[in-house]
Amino acid sequence: MTELPLSTLLKVYGRRLGMRLLAGEKGMNRTINSSDANRPGLTLTGFVEVVTFDLAQILGNHEIDYLRTLTPERRFQALEIIYQFDIPCVVITGRGRLLPELKVLANKHDVPLLRSDFDTTKFIHLLHFYLDDVFAPHATVHGTLMDVHGVGLLFAGRSAIGKSEVGLDLVERGHRLVADDTVIITRQAQGILVGRSPQLLQDHMEIRGIGVVDVKRLFGIGGTRRQKRVEVVVTLVDWDKQLNYERIGLEDVVETMLGVEVPEVKIPIFPGKNITVIAETIAFNHLLRVDGYHAAQELNKRLIRKMRKKGKKIS
Amino acid sequence: MVEKQVIVQNQLGIHARPATLLVQMAAKFEAEIYLSKGEVRRINGKSIMGVMMLAAEHGAEVLVEADGEDEAEAVESVAHLLASKFEDLT
Repeated sequence: MTELPLSTLLKVYGRRLGMRLLAGEKGMNRTINSSDANRPGLTLTGFVEVVTFDLAQILGNHEIDYLRTLTPERRFQALEIIYQFDIPCVVITGRGRLLPELKVLANKHDVPLLRSDFDTTKFIHLLHFYLDDVFAPHATVHGTLMDVHGVGLLFAGRSAIGKSEVGLDLVERGHRLVADDTVIITRQAQGILVGRSPQLLQDHMEIRGIGVVDVKRLFGIGGTRRQKRVEVVVTLVDWDKQLNYERIGLEDVVETMLGVEVPEVKIPIFPGKNITVIAETIAFNHLLRVDGYHAAQELNKRLIRKMRKKGKKIS
Repeated sequence: MVEKQVIVQNQLGIHARPATLLVQMAAKFEAEIYLSKGEVRRINGKSIMGVMMLAAEHGAEVLVEADGEDEAEAVESVAHLLASKFEDLT
């Protein structure tokens, strides 16, 4: 599970979340592990049966207004209920007034007290918008991710089989490199896989015999892109006469990554075979299928119709 | 050169799925394998497009020929599959 320290949260996303630190600075090494947040309204009234204390606790206008109806003594007690749990932080949103008790408790428990200029709904929305990606399940795979005609092709296969060379050839033909060698894949909502390069390696490729090349410098800004949905896995394999390779493509083969099924195409390679043009065909064929046209199925339908007609003539 | 005449038993005829199995089996042999049906003469038994072009419907007569080192076994295997009902397929 990914743990995001509050110090990082504030540094990287603070501005975008309209957020600043008010108190409890010593607790900035506390972490959050979800983009969800909790509104502890009922907890403040003393109902502690259900408390999601591992989430950021949000005090919006409602909570603050409720607390202001209490005497200072009762208000302190109500807030102490939240602070008895191991909460990561408290965020005051919108126009909620900063109650003096909050600062005292924040420093006493070393739990950061933050304020966001956005109102509660907007803040929670933004929290999801920026952090869903951070906490989404991810994996690192060995391969080359390319955007070919707008389709994300992830080239897989053993080391030195020529994934990078295919990638370079594709870039040369106007397609775009996303990541070479190491691809970080993140599962986003509804089974969508998105791949990107580790920041350090971004725009770079290793070509055996040359070494490392900077694709963006060599081919321009249009030769690379930051991230791309992984739509087809293209596995390059050494040609083996004993193995059966796809001849007609009626059946859809899938590869499961992070629990998501992605169409897979296995391409046997041998010297002189042009994988680049095959990759472009895979991309177009994928677009056709998404569009509802399946070439192998259509041809088979045509064939079966023809045989049926002939069968009738005989009988 | 070895040859054998068979009758297609599969209800739907040799459509894409049976054709795929057929060329995969044919490809395992060293021998050249040819299929003929009526006007369509000697198509390559290792070519998927060729085998589909035969359009061998249920009841069609197909001639299997093989030429090469393992020709006898090749004809036997391909003919046997061609005359089968391709049980696992629809």
